[in-house]
Amino acid sequence: MDTASETAQVRVEGVWKVFGRKPGEAREMAEAGATREEIQTATGSVVAVRDVTFHVDAGETFVVMGLSGSGKSTLIRCVSHLVAPTEGRVELCGTELTRADHATLRNLRRQKMAMVFQHFGLFPHRKVVDNVAYGLEVQGVDRQDRQDRARELLDTVGLEGWGDHYPQQLSGGMQQRVGLARALAVDPEVLFFDEPFSALDPLIRRDMQDELIDLQMKLQRTLVFITHDFAEALKLADRIAIMNDGAFVQVGTPVEILTSPADDYVRAFTQDAPVAKVLQACSLMRPLDGTDIDPGWPQVSSTTPLETALPHLLGSTSPVVVCDEDSTPVGLLHGDDVAGVISENRP
Amino acid sequence: MTVVEEARRTANGLRTASDSRLARFILAIGTIVVLILVFRLSTNFGVFPESWDVGLADPIDRARRWLISNQTSHWLYTVFLNPITDAIDWGIRRLESILKWFPWYSYPPITGVGLWWTRGRVAGVLGLASVSLIGIIDLWEESFATLALMGVSVLISMIIGIPLGIAAWRSDAVAKVVRPTLDAMQTMPGFVYLIPFVLLFGVGRVPALISTVIFALAPVVRLTEVGLRTVPQVTVEASEMFGATERQTLRLVRLPQARPAIFAGMNQTTMLAMSMVVIAAFIGAGGLGQVVLRAMQSIEVGKASEAGIAIVIMAIILDRFSTGIATADPGHDALALRWLAVAVTVVAVVGGLLGHNEFPESLNWQFAPYVDDATDWARYNLYDIGGSGIGTGPFSDFVTLRFVTPLRELLSSDIPWPAMIGIGVVLGLWARGIRLAVGIGAALFAIGFLGMWALSMDTLAQTIVAVAITLIIGVPVGIMTSHNDLLRTALKPVLDFFQTIPSFVLLVPVITLFHVGRIPGIIASVIYALPAAVHYTDLGLRRVPAEVHEAAESFGATRGQRLRRVEMPLAAPELMVAVNQVIMLILAMVVIAGLVGGGGLGLEAVRGLRRSDAVGRGFEAGIAIVLLASILDRLTRAIADRLRPPAAV
Ligand SMILES: Nc1ncnc2c1ncn2[C@@H]1O[C@H](COP(=O)(O)OP(=O)(O)O)[C@@H](O)[C@H]1O
Ligand SMILES: [Mg+2]
Repeated sequence: MDTASETAQVRVEGVWKVFGRKPGEAREMAEAGATREEIQTATGSVVAVRDVTFHVDAGETFVVMGLSGSGKSTLIRCVSHLVAPTEGRVELCGTELTRADHATLRNLRRQKMAMVFQHFGLFPHRKVVDNVAYGLEVQGVDRQDRQDRARELLDTVGLEGWGDHYPQQLSGGMQQRVGLARALAVDPEVLFFDEPFSALDPLIRRDMQDELIDLQMKLQRTLVFITHDFAEALKLADRIAIMNDGAFVQVGTPVEILTSPADDYVRAFTQDAPVAKVLQACSLMRPLDGTDIDPGWPQVSSTTPLETALPHLLGSTSPVVVCDEDSTPVGLLHGDDVAGVISENRP
Repeated sequence: MTVVEEARRTANGLRTASDSRLARFILAIGTIVVLILVFRLSTNFGVFPESWDVGLADPIDRARRWLISNQTSHWLYTVFLNPITDAIDWGIRRLESILKWFPWYSYPPITGVGLWWTRGRVAGVLGLASVSLIGIIDLWEESFATLALMGVSVLISMIIGIPLGIAAWRSDAVAKVVRPTLDAMQTMPGFVYLIPFVLLFGVGRVPALISTVIFALAPVVRLTEVGLRTVPQVTVEASEMFGATERQTLRLVRLPQARPAIFAGMNQTTMLAMSMVVIAAFIGAGGLGQVVLRAMQSIEVGKASEAGIAIVIMAIILDRFSTGIATADPGHDALALRWLAVAVTVVAVVGGLLGHNEFPESLNWQFAPYVDDATDWARYNLYDIGGSGIGTGPFSDFVTLRFVTPLRELLSSDIPWPAMIGIGVVLGLWARGIRLAVGIGAALFAIGFLGMWALSMDTLAQTIVAVAITLIIGVPVGIMTSHNDLLRTALKPVLDFFQTIPSFVLLVPVITLFHVGRIPGIIASVIYALPAAVHYTDLGLRRVPAEVHEAAESFGATRGQRLRRVEMPLAAPELMVAVNQVIMLILAMVVIAGLVGGGGLGLEAVRGLRRSDAVGRGFEAGIAIVLLASILDRLTRAIADRLRPPAAV
C-alpha cells in the first residue's frame, strides 16, 4: 500500500510492538485476525502496533490519526526508538535504527531528530531558557553559545523575555511553545510530535496549529505528527494515516481520505469533518482540458475553501473557474463534484 | 478444628460482604476465649516454664569476655575493627577540634544568619538567642561533643545512603534486599541497636556512631529511591530523545528532580540521628545526652532540664535548617545576608586566630536550682493536692493498680502462656494467613525460650495501656482537626514541636511530676506518640472524598451518623496505620523508660548496656524487644490491609 520513495527520510517497514510476555503467540493471533481484546484475554499481551509500514519524505508532514489507545504513541516511540519494536525495520535519514548501537542512536538523536510531547515533558527544575538549551548542553555546546541560541528560538516561538521563568509559571500554550523551541534548538531534520496540542484549549490549539504551519513553511522539516483530532489532521497533513487497533487502516492525502474513505471506521471520522472548510477548490477541480471559459463564470483562487465557493455554484448550472496566484485559470469546479463529496460524507 | 479452618479460609483473602467479615471476627474472638478457657481449666500452665530457657546469655557473656581479652591481639580487631574504630574516632575528634577552633561568639550569629537565610528573620533572631542560651547555661563543651558526633553521623549516613538509594532505584535486585531490611530496621526501637555494637566495640563514641548511622540511614535511602522513581517518565524520555547518556540524564534530569525528596530524607535522617545520639549516652557517647542521663540517674531534675533544653534547641535548629535549606528564598534580604555572612566569617576567623574559644564563665547563669525548687514544690503540693485524693500520686497509683498491674498479671500468668501463643496465632490467621500465624507463634516461643516471657508481658502491658490512652486522646482530637482547619493550624506547631524532641528528653519533664516508676514512662510515651495518632487520624478522615460526604448528607445523615457510618469505616485502614505507628513509637519509648524504673524488657536492656556482666541478659532482652516489635508491627499492618476495601479490578 506504500511505495517506497527515493527521498524518504523516515522509512518504517513491518513494525510490530507487543507488550507482554508472549509476543510470538500474540502476533500469530493478530495475523489470524484476532482483535486486541481477544489477544489480551488469551495471552495477557497487548498488541499495540501491528504490521505498520510507511515512509515520510523530506519536508513532508505525515499525520497519524486514531482514537486514544489505538497505538499512536507506541508507534511514534518505536520510530524514535524510545521503545524497541518487537519486529520490523525503522530507518531514519539513511540509518537503520533497529540495528544501530547505543552510540549511533545517541548521535542520531543529537543531530537528526527531536520530539515534542503531549504533556510537554519540560524540566520543572530548569528555567525556560535552560530547557530550550538542554539538547545543546547534552551535546557539549558551551554555556554562552547555547544560551544565545536558546534565546533566539524563544523569540522565534514568540516567548521573548520569558527565558528566566520556570516552565510551571507559564500557561499551557506557552509551555508547549517552550517544548517546540526546545525541539527546534538542536536543528533537527525530523521532528516527532505526540499529540502536542491535545492538552490545550481549543482557541490556543488553533493558534498553535497556525503557527506550526507558518514555521513549517519557513523551515521545511520532516514532521511526524500524532493526533486524535481528525480536523487537526486535515489541517496540517500532507498525508494522513488512520490508525485503528494498532494497524493502519488507510493512508492518503486529506482529499483522498475524505473523498474515498476505506471503510466504516474512516467514514465515521469523515462524516463529522468540516469538509467544506477543509477542502479547497484546487483539490476538487477538474482540469481545463481546453474547455472554453465563459467570461461570465465566477472565478475563485485555488486555495479557496469549498465553503466560500459554494454560493457561486448554488442555483447555477455553470462551473466555477479556479485560478492560481497569477489569476491564470487552472481548472473548473463543478457543482456535481462538490455535492458528491459533501453527500458522500453525510449519507 | 473447624474453627481454625474457617479462620484460615478467611485469612486467605476471601473478602466478601461485611456480614461474613463480622461473623469471622466473632469466630476469631470465640476461638480465643475457648483457648483461654481450655488451658485454664485443663492445665496449670502460667508463666512460660523457666527450665525451657535456652540460656543464650551465658555464651554471649563468654563471647564478650573473649572479645575484651582479644581486643589488642586478634586479627579481627587488628586488621578490621580497630582501623575502623580509629578512623571514625579520628573523624569525630577532628571535627570537634575544628568546631572548637572558632570563637564562641561566632556561633550565635552563624546560626542566626543560617536560619535567617533559610527561614526568615524571626527564625534568625530566635536561633541567635537560643544558641547563646546553650552557652549561658554552661553546656557549651557538651554541645560540641554532641554536634561533632551528629555531624559525622549525618555525613556518613549521606555518603552511604544516597548512593544506596540510587542503587536501589537502579536495580530491582538491590531494592528487593534493601527495602525489607530498611523496613525491619525502622520497626526496631533505636535503643536495641546499641546492644550488638557494645558487644563488639565496647562502650564509647564509635559504637554510638555506628548504631546512630544504622538507625538513621533508612529515610535518606528510601527517599532518594522514591525521589528517583517519581521523576516523571516524560522528562526522562525528553532527555533521551536529545541523545543524553544515562549519566547525563541522571545528573541533569533525575537527580535535580529528586532533590526535594532527597532533602526531605536528609532532614528525617538528621532528626533520627539526633534522637539516637542522645540515647547513645547509654554507651558512653558523651555530650548532652550524657548530662541528661547522669542527672536523671541521680534525680537532679534541674540539671536534666537544662541539658534537655539544650538538646531540644539543637534539634529544632537542625530541623528548621534542614527543612528550610531545600526551599531557601531570602528574597529582599539576600544582599544584607551576604554582607552579614562575610562579616561573621571575618569575625570567626579573626577570633579563631586570637583563640577566643571558651564561652566566658562570667556570662553563665543556671536555671537548674529554680527547676529543682519547682520540682520539690510540685512533689510536695501536687502529689496529693490538699489530701483530697486528687494529684499525681493518686493518679499514678490509680493507673498502676487498676490497669498496668492487673493487665501485666493477666498477660503474664492469668492467661496461660500456651493460650497467649494461641491468641497470637489466631490473630495472625485472621489478619493475614498461615505464614503470619506461624511467624507470630515462632516469635512468641522464641521469647519464651529466651527466658523473657514475664518481662515481655510486662512491657506489652505497659504498651497496651499507653496505646489505649494515646488513642483515647488522639483519635478524637484527630477527628476534630479533620473537621476544623483552624484547630488544625493551631495545633500543628505544637505537634511538630513534640515530634522534633528526641524521645529520651521527654522523660525529663515527666519525672519532675511523677518521679520514677512505670507511670512516667507511660506518660512520656503517650506524649511521644500523640502527634502521630492525631496526624494519621486527621489524614485518614481527610482522605474521604468530598462526594462521599455530600452523598451522606443528601440522605439526611446527621454529623454523628456520618462519622460513624461513613467516614470512620472509610478511614479505617488509615486509622489502623495510626495504631501501628502509635504502637511502634510507644514501644520504643517504653523500652527507654527502663532507665527511670519502667521495668520490663527495657530495664533489662539498660542494665545490659551499663554493666559488663549483664550484657548477655541485655542481649536477650534486646532480641525479645525486636521480636515483640516485629509481632506488633506485622499484626497491625496486616489488620490495616484487611480493613482496606478490595482493590478495583
Ligand atoms: N508500556 C506499556 N506496557 C503495556 N501496554 C502498553 C504500554 N504502553 C502502551 N500500552 C498499551 O498499548 C495500547 C496503545 O497505547 P498508546 O500507544 O499509548 O495509544 P495512543 O497513543 O494511541 O493513545 C494501549 O492499549 C496501551 O494500554
Ligand atoms: Mg498517546
